[in-house]
Amino acid sequence: MGDIKRVLVADDSDTVTTVLATALELEGYEVDKVDNGLAAYEMGITGNYDLIILDHLMPGLLGLEILERWGKEGHNHTTIVLSGVDDDRIAVDSLEAGAVDFVRKPFRMPELLARIRSRLPD
Amino acid sequence: MNETTVGLVILGVVMLVAFAMLIGLVMLKAINRRRALRRRERHSRYVALISRRIAAKDTPEPIDSSTVVDDSFLDAVIDIRNVITGRQIDTLAGIIDGVGLARRQEQRLRSRFPLGRRLRAAVSLAEIGDESTAPVLITHLADREPEIRIQCARGLGRIQYEPAIEAILDRFGLEQPWVRARFADTLVRFGGKATWPLVAFVRANLRHDHNEGVIEAIRVLGVIGDREVGPSLAGILRVATDPEVRIAAIESLGIVGGPLAIRPLKYTFRSTDWRLRAKSATSLGHIGDPSINAVLARGLQDSNWWVRRNTASALAALPGGDELLLHAIGSDDPFARDAAAEALADCGVLAAARERDDAGQATDNDRLLLDYVGAGLQVLS
Repeated sequence: MGDIKRVLVADDSDTVTTVLATALELEGYEVDKVDNGLAAYEMGITGNYDLIILDHLMPGLLGLEILERWGKEGHNHTTIVLSGVDDDRIAVDSLEAGAVDFVRKPFRMPELLARIRSRLPD
Repeated sequence: MNETTVGLVILGVVMLVAFAMLIGLVMLKAINRRRALRRRERHSRYVALISRRIAAKDTPEPIDSSTVVDDSFLDAVIDIRNVITGRQIDTLAGIIDGVGLARRQEQRLRSRFPLGRRLRAAVSLAEIGDESTAPVLITHLADREPEIRIQCARGLGRIQYEPAIEAILDRFGLEQPWVRARFADTLVRFGGKATWPLVAFVRANLRHDHNEGVIEAIRVLGVIGDREVGPSLAGILRVATDPEVRIAAIESLGIVGGPLAIRPLKYTFRSTDWRLRAKSATSLGHIGDPSINAVLARGLQDSNWWVRRNTASALAALPGGDELLLHAIGSDDPFARDAAAEALADCGVLAAARERDDAGQATDNDRLLLDYVGAGLQVLS
């Protein structure tokens, strides 16, 4: 059995972070939650996470801005962007900025968990 | 007691009362803050509890039915409902059913509570209600409070409860414009299911004047965009006498499109009423069939500025339309020339001509257009 995988969930909605964290913990992951862009940016650098789930619209810094900053600074995280904004441009920009996936809210939990599992091999 | 003493006593009493009020205000704020904090804590606890229930693969964690009285639980259910979709919504519906959450909101809506609490119940039912809730929502479409009527219609639209379409339409002609506009949004959510009830409503209520509800219903038909409604809209256009109704029908025909929409629009494009001609030009442009280019081109010589403008804009968007506009630039009619030049500028043909001219590759048409614009628009300038 491999090590416990660490996941960071960044979303300004307490409901989203709690729903995701609960489901991920039941799957056996170790989860940290943050509710703003600046904290997400900093924890992404210092937290040594196996995967980061990043909301696009957050106070402080947008998800896309965080991805661009990490990219410029050479931090290559496995990041899934989650967004309630149904805008193809944001999806394309996020993927070009280094996200491995883009999921729209509201999301199907089993599908999102499957996407997460596929990015976190044992 | 002299006057100074009396004044000092009054001042002291006033200061004492002001101080007491200040203390009271501070305490009230502190109590409210603590309440809000506790509500947030309970909300988080409930979100976690429901999430575990949704995500649990084995024995689900029970939810105490007493939680139903706590509004934080209701908020948590609504918030989760807006975050997830798919099969987990069924699990959530099971939780709502199990604790009797919707039933409690129905009771609140029926009660004599103040508007705020009844409205909260209506909003909640609009978010979490299902088909079993629909009869209550339909009853309250005739509620004395317009906001509650709107929320009930919204809920019925979300549930997609088909029998509600007739009930909403029954209220349609009776409502104030702003309520009717919200009802119209609700009907759009029913999509194609609302098409034929809307057509029947329009046919039954079409009058010579005061057609506000009918106009809104025709616009909803356009937004729904069911192409099969084209002949019905054409029929409405044929029998209606109110210009506003006819304009709405022309607009909706342009949106639903299809070959059957072209003939009635070509007819109204020859109307004596310039408003109908102008709207018809726009709708013919929306349909996007280049076979009507030659018919549309006649609108460039129309006596009305709006008709010329809309015609030129429509042609600019149609395949081959820019050729007709360039042809109009060389015509004898200064009105047609101006309308064509403006449309060619708006759609980027003028900018492209300038680029080719700068590169020394201008065509004859480019030079014609650039010379005309360079000389200034003749009628408007």
